[in-house]
Amino acid sequence: MKELRCVGVGKVWPSARGLAVEALRDVTLELADGEFVAIVGPSGCGKSTLLELIAGLEPVSSGHVVADGVPVRGASAERCMLFQEHSLFPWLAVEDNVAFGLAVQGVPRAERRARAREVLQRVHLAPFARHFPHQLSGGMKQRVAIARALVIDPDLLLMDEPFAALDFQTRILMQRFLLEVWEGFGKTILFVTHQIDEAILLADRIYVMSAGPGRIIDHVKIGLPRPRSYTSPEFNEYRVRLTSELEREVLRAYAREEVA
Amino acid sequence: MRPGVTPGPLPVTAPDASTPMARPSWIAPLLAALAPWAAVVLVWELAARHGWISVALFPPPTAFVGYLVEEKFSFGLGRDAMSVHWSIIASFLRVLAGLALGFVAALTAGILISMSRAASLLTLPLVRGLAPIAPIAWIPLGIVLFGLGNPTAVFIVFVGVFFVLTIATVSAVSAVDPRLIKTAKTLGASPRHIWLRVIFPAIIPQVFTMLRLNFFGAWMGVLAAEMVGLRNGLGALIIMGREMFNANLILVGMALIGASGYAVDSLLVFVQRRVLWWRPDAQP
Repeated sequence: MKELRCVGVGKVWPSARGLAVEALRDVTLELADGEFVAIVGPSGCGKSTLLELIAGLEPVSSGHVVADGVPVRGASAERCMLFQEHSLFPWLAVEDNVAFGLAVQGVPRAERRARAREVLQRVHLAPFARHFPHQLSGGMKQRVAIARALVIDPDLLLMDEPFAALDFQTRILMQRFLLEVWEGFGKTILFVTHQIDEAILLADRIYVMSAGPGRIIDHVKIGLPRPRSYTSPEFNEYRVRLTSELEREVLRAYAREEVA
Repeated sequence: MRPGVTPGPLPVTAPDASTPMARPSWIAPLLAALAPWAAVVLVWELAARHGWISVALFPPPTAFVGYLVEEKFSFGLGRDAMSVHWSIIASFLRVLAGLALGFVAALTAGILISMSRAASLLTLPLVRGLAPIAPIAWIPLGIVLFGLGNPTAVFIVFVGVFFVLTIATVSAVSAVDPRLIKTAKTLGASPRHIWLRVIFPAIIPQVFTMLRLNFFGAWMGVLAAEMVGLRNGLGALIIMGREMFNANLILVGMALIGASGYAVDSLLVFVQRRVLWWRPDAQP
C-alpha cells in the first residue's frame, strides 16, 4: 500500500428510537507507506468507529475511505485490525491462532504451521506455540495478536487501544516491542489511543480528535528522534501542548452535556 | 533477543513438588462422594435389622443386592424374561441415540435459523412453544406415531432435547463476542469461514452444557416410556417388579437407574471437559 486517505468521512449510527447519533463528521486524514500515525482523543470521540470504517467493517455514511486510489468496500486482510483484548480465538493454540489468516486463505497445514512458527520466533514467542490463550499473560496475548496479523503480511495495521488493558510496566515493554515490529517488518500503523504519552512516544504524526461528533481538531508532527524518552524536555513540550488541547475539548464537551 | 522483550513468566506453573506427602488428588473427592452413600446404606440397614421398616415392602441393600445375585442377574419367565445387562444397555442406547441426534439436529437448526432474520422470526415462536413440553408428555404421541419400540424411545429423547437446544444454539450464536468476528473478517475470513471457524467452535461449549442439563429430563422420558409401553429396559424392570409384588425387583430397578444415570452424566462431564479444554473455568 502506498497511501490511505480518508476524505470528509462521516458516520451516523441509527439508534433504537429512530434518533440518529452522529459519531464522526468530516474526518480527513492520510497515511503514507511505512508511517506510524496515532489518533488521540477523549473516550467516545469516535476513534474506534473511524478504525472500523477504515478496516471496512462498517460502511461510511458520507465521504470516502480510499486505499491506493481504490475506495474501501468491506473488510480485507490488507487492513488488519487489532482490538484492546479478547481477540484471540480461545479454542486455538497460539500457533493455530497465528495461522488463522493463512488457514482461511487455504494454505496447507504444514506450510501455515511453519510460517506461524517463523513469525512466533521473530516475536520471541516460539516456546509458547502450543499454549492456549488462557495460559498467557495480557502482554503475551497482544504479542500473539500482533504476530497473527504479521503472518498474513497486511499493508496496514489498525490498532484500537491495544495496550489499554495492560499494566504500566507491561505497556512500556509492549510499546518498545511494537516499535521493533514496525521497524523490523516495515508496516504502516494507525494507532488509536486515549493516552497522550503513548502517542508521542510511538508516532511520527498525531491526529487529535474531539468528541460529539468526532472531528479532527489538530494535526501534530512529532519531530523527536527515536528512541524517545518520556522524561526529556522536548517530550514534555509536546505533552503540554496536546494535554491542554484535549483538556479544553473535554471541558467543552462536558459543558455541552450539562446544558443538554 | 533484546532485554526489553523477553517473554514474561507463564502464569501456569507445574504442580508443586514442594509438598512431600502429596497424595493423588482424586482420593479425597472419591471419599467425599462415597461417605454420604455409606451413611445412607448404614441407616437403612440398621432400620431394617431393628424392624423400624418392613423388610418385605422396603428391603435394604443387602436384601435386594443379594436377590439380584441369587436370580443370576435375570428376571421374569419365558418370553418376558430380561437380563439386567440387556435392560441397562437398552435404556442406555435409547438415551444416547436420542441425545446425539438431538444435539446434531439442534446445532444445525439453530445455526440455520440464526443465519436469517426472517427464519428466526418465523421459526423461533414455534420452537419456543414446543420446548416447554416435557419429554414425558410426548410419550402418548410417540407411541401412536412409532408404535411400541426403540424408535419411540429415541423420538422422546430427541424431542425432549431438540427444541431446548435449538433455542440454546440461537442464543449462543447471538452471544458470540463481536470482536472475534471482526478480527476474523480483517484476517480475510469469508462468511463461510466465520460460521465454520469462529461461530461454530465458539458456541459448542454452551450448547453442550445445555445438553447435559437436559439429559436427566430425557432419561426420565425413556424410563417412563419403558414403564408404560416398551417391554424392556430399566423402566420395564420396575413395572415387572410392581406387577409381581416383588419389592426387591423394584429396588433393584431403582438402584440401577440411579447408577446408570450417574454413569451417563459422568460420561457427559468427561466429554464436556474435552470439549471445553480451552476454558480454564469449566465446571463439572
